[in-house]
Amino acid sequence: MEAATAHADHHHGPPAANVSSRVEAQFLGMLLFIISEVMLFGAFFTAYFFIRVVADSGWFPIEGVDLPKAIAGVNTAILISSSFTMHWALEGARNENRNALRVGLLTTALLGLSFLTIQVNEYVHIGFAPSDNAQSTIFYGLTGLHGAHVFVGLTLLTFATVRAFRGHFTAKEHRGVEVPGIYWHFVDVMWIVVYSSVYLL
Amino acid sequence: MLNPLRSEQEAFRFLLYVVVVAAVLIGIVFAVRALT
Repeated sequence: MEAATAHADHHHGPPAANVSSRVEAQFLGMLLFIISEVMLFGAFFTAYFFIRVVADSGWFPIEGVDLPKAIAGVNTAILISSSFTMHWALEGARNENRNALRVGLLTTALLGLSFLTIQVNEYVHIGFAPSDNAQSTIFYGLTGLHGAHVFVGLTLLTFATVRAFRGHFTAKEHRGVEVPGIYWHFVDVMWIVVYSSVYLL
Repeated sequence: MLNPLRSEQEAFRFLLYVVVVAAVLIGIVFAVRALT
């Protein structure tokens, strides 16, 4: 809608053939990216469920090794909390509350960094390697794929945070926070599915 | 209709729904496992 309005400001008539009158380019890009990401995660989950069904030794624990459910649970709480602070930051932008925007974005980035640090620490102490068996391969594959997405989200958040501290973003113009916010919530949703299926069930 | 890719607000609301649904499903699976 805003794209259509902005377009109408410049000239009359229908939009150019390569410009959507319904979705802004930034949102369309993130929408298509997330749809492709869902398919990527779908491929990894297919491998996970296949291994889980056909593996003779079953899922974890295998050979006395179990997954650190409690630590991953704390990590889950950290990541869900970061979505709340992300939402708070964007509400701050919408209400011209610059402190909420800055603190919200910074807290979100720090929580995301904590998540990654804990996950790396988990890998160090978990007691098995990706090459040990099919279960460990898909465990590292799925959690590592998600970790890579957290890293990408953190990169986007870093840009948004720096811009927020430089005085960017207003109640009307805050796409630079909203688009990373959508991505961040997507990463959180994916982690909930990963944690539920891989660690708990 | 809720579209989590349309705005951050809807994405956040979708996340909350996923948290609730995941908690209910995990609870059901654990309850069934405990009873069988």
